[in-house]
Amino acid sequence: MTHFGPTIRDIRERLRRDDRSYSVRQVARRVGIEPAYLSKIERSEVAPPSEATTVRLAQELGEDPDVMLALAGKVSADLQAIIRKRPRLFADLIRQLKEVPDEAVLRVVREVRDGKW
Amino acid sequence: MIILDDDRLEFHFPEVHKESRCTIEFQRTLRIPDDGRDYPLPPGLGAFPLRHLDDYAARLPDNWRRRGGVIAPMHQAEALWINFTSRYPFAVKLATGKICAITGDTWVDHLNRDPQDYVVLPEQPWLDGYCVEEGIVRQFVAMPLGEGYTVEEQLTGAAVHGGLQFVAFPMKAERYEALMAGRPEFEPGVMYAPDCAEEAPMGLAPGGRMKQEVYDDPYGLDAWDQRHASRCFVSLVNSAQWVTITGELPPTEPPSAQFYAEYGLPWFEYYGGDSQVVAGSETLGRLKSVSEHAEATGGAPLPGNDPVSVDHVIALGKSRGRRVRESVIGAGSDQG
Repeated sequence: MTHFGPTIRDIRERLRRDDRSYSVRQVARRVGIEPAYLSKIERSEVAPPSEATTVRLAQELGEDPDVMLALAGKVSADLQAIIRKRPRLFADLIRQLKEVPDEAVLRVVREVRDGKW
Repeated sequence: MIILDDDRLEFHFPEVHKESRCTIEFQRTLRIPDDGRDYPLPPGLGAFPLRHLDDYAARLPDNWRRRGGVIAPMHQAEALWINFTSRYPFAVKLATGKICAITGDTWVDHLNRDPQDYVVLPEQPWLDGYCVEEGIVRQFVAMPLGEGYTVEEQLTGAAVHGGLQFVAFPMKAERYEALMAGRPEFEPGVMYAPDCAEEAPMGLAPGGRMKQEVYDDPYGLDAWDQRHASRCFVSLVNSAQWVTITGELPPTEPPSAQFYAEYGLPWFEYYGGDSQVVAGSETLGRLKSVSEHAEATGGAPLPGNDPVSVDHVIALGKSRGRRVRESVIGAGSDQG
């Protein structure tokens, strides 16, 4: 059981307060799934959808796809591919960084260098 | 700090606030006719690829390397718009050829309020061009430097910098906390590659007119944390240079506005509600558009400049959560 469905419903309902095009029917149509399926997702009657559908839902609702995938208990295929390519290195890296504050994690991320201009 | 993620520039300021992040993306689009009419906003056709300039430093001259930042490919006379995504408030300055796209003034690293030389996120979802009048911008169009088309050349008489420049300032953490406390829970360059020396470098020039408002800063200059800023120089290279430098193919050229309109595909309008709007720059308003410059100098007119009839306009607005601005939503059926 995840919080994916209720979270999707909360976000969609919040958007719908300002914009009626965020009904279950219209969101489902834009995402490319059946309204009944979206309704079941929101009520956690079915497991979270595929990665592709989750990403489209996230984009439609203006949410971060990686965050929504995590909420659905998934890791994106591109991240899995990165880890599989160098499993020991990235497994060690992730374990080492698991308790590190965000600010410190960002220090190990490659920064776009600013120069003189 | 700025990181490059999936062709987007992500600005993070964890030292200011853990939620302080925004993204800037460059959307490919069709070039609207430069015929004096005011068009609605054209669609997004996908993001331009962005690469760390440092990854190709060996193929670039020293003056490129000194700038740092990223490189992006544009076809000659191709247009772009800038997509901002943020929940945390930011003040973002942007320039082309180190000329401010909002005021027409020469680049400075700090913010100015009178006239306002920055856009405010998330109020400003997009910027498609130079702010030439209240509610009107002239589209960003890539042209070779050295031919006099670019804003930089028209205003300074020199072709030195080219490209796009950004600096982002987050809102002060205490102002953000105060803002959130009052809301309901859910409210929220000149390029010169040795391997392609015969190719002209790229800058941005003013193209056709379109209806787009640049919103006045509702928070005031004091809201922005100017002790923390991240800058980025986006160097623009043409298609041939891109292939030579990166070994990758650039995106295909977008369709013409005429082709797009013939198929009845959507254009867009954005309504900012009661937001105040900046007046537009007289300096930028006096510049010649690409067509006007070509006519004045006897240059070849750009193809696809005939007026188009716009029948399908989608209205998006501040009160609406959805700000997707795409020509086609290609979602297929998927049941999990």
